[in-house]
Amino acid sequence: MNDDLKENICDETLFSAIFKRHSKDLHNFLYYKFGESYSPADQVQDAFVKLWENCGKITPSKAKSFLFTVANNATLNATAHKKVVLKYQKLSHKNYTHETPEFILESDEYMRKLQHALSNLSEIQRTTFLLNRIDGKKHKEIASLLGISQKAVEKRIYGALKKLRKTIKEI
Amino acid sequence: MKREELIKKWLDNELSSEEFKLFHKLDDADELMKLSESIKAFQIPSFNSDSTFEKINQSINPTKFRSKNSWTRQFLRIAAIVVIGLGIYTYIGSLDTRISTSIAEKTSVILPDASHVLINSKTDVSFNKNNWGNNRDIKLEGEAYFKVSKGAKFNVRTSTGTITVLGTEFNVKHRDGLFEVMCYEGSVNVNCNDTDQLLMSGDSFLLLNGEIIATDKENLKSPAWKNNQSYFKSMPLIFVFREFERQYKVILDYQLIDTSQKFTGSFAHDDLDLALKSITLPLNIKFEKLKQSKIILSSE
Repeated sequence: MNDDLKENICDETLFSAIFKRHSKDLHNFLYYKFGESYSPADQVQDAFVKLWENCGKITPSKAKSFLFTVANNATLNATAHKKVVLKYQKLSHKNYTHETPEFILESDEYMRKLQHALSNLSEIQRTTFLLNRIDGKKHKEIASLLGISQKAVEKRIYGALKKLRKTIKEI
Repeated sequence: MKREELIKKWLDNELSSEEFKLFHKLDDADELMKLSESIKAFQIPSFNSDSTFEKINQSINPTKFRSKNSWTRQFLRIAAIVVIGLGIYTYIGSLDTRISTSIAEKTSVILPDASHVLINSKTDVSFNKNNWGNNRDIKLEGEAYFKVSKGAKFNVRTSTGTITVLGTEFNVKHRDGLFEVMCYEGSVNVNCNDTDQLLMSGDSFLLLNGEIIATDKENLKSPAWKNNQSYFKSMPLIFVFREFERQYKVILDYQLIDTSQKFTGSFAHDDLDLALKSITLPLNIKFEKLKQSKIILSSE
């Protein structure tokens, strides 16, 4: 996109394009980081309103980092946050007729463990790890999203994986 | 390849098929795959980007338009007031000034150019003050005496004819079936039924029921009614009676007499009995006053 041809983003079509490109990432990022308690959708909304209010000062290429910074700060400002517990969708077991009750019990147990392990991760680890595993984002994409190096992303994700496995085993 | 690097590559989905086989040979590969699969269950509650964008638009648009429109809107408001004000002003200005007199009432008006109009009873006069300099036009229904200052054309418009002058004194009487113009000074042009007639001082123009009646030169300085008299010369009696009713608040019942007979003479405007006598005596008519200012006339 020829974003940089424009000096600012005070243009409805451009603004709408930026929204389409970044809103879901921003939303997921906030969710992975802070969980549901800060209502990620509302934070996304506020961040984009702020982006529009400052549209004259922001070039298209800076819009993304502005959004992430604003949303991140706003959430941090809210209050010292609680431990983040993410919900998971219960797999429907009905489809797996061959599964034994033990297996079902086991897998439920595993999910609970995983949930616990996820909430024990640091915000940074959880965010990068889930962006990678759930959203299927490449390390490079995450690096540009968070404004850190690809190496750092790699390290965080690997660190997260290690910590998760450790926590699951310990329980 | 080291284990750690292999896992990192797996995490970035960058494994080639050979590396993939190596990865599978790791003793904890199954566990890693299970973890990776199970993580997907933590997928986010769906994010409705459309409704969020809608909300953003809602909170953006007021500010967006407020700042831009605040002074345009202010300006439009002022403009609207000015336009409406001007509209009302010009409308009121374009309205004609209208003067009406009722029975037994006389009044005088000084027009913007200092022309003088003396208005007899039961008469409507209207003119436009604003455009008077260019367009000296006055509408008349009834009888009035004009003393016109010199200037542009001065038109007296009646439904029967138009009198055009430059600066003079004349009287116009326009009543049912009667149209009389009397010139006292200067000259007057009367346009009636598409014919022009120039009246010099002392001339008069008389139209009775659509017929032009030849008249003699008169040597009056001003119309008789200016001195509270009504003067008639060979005038059918009906017009005399009508004039009488305009000067006195009475109803004359003249069914019993011939109203087409001519009358020459005058009556005063300030004495009912005397006025009645001055009409009836020369024509041998009796009159009887009833209540509610009704007067019955009959032949003797």
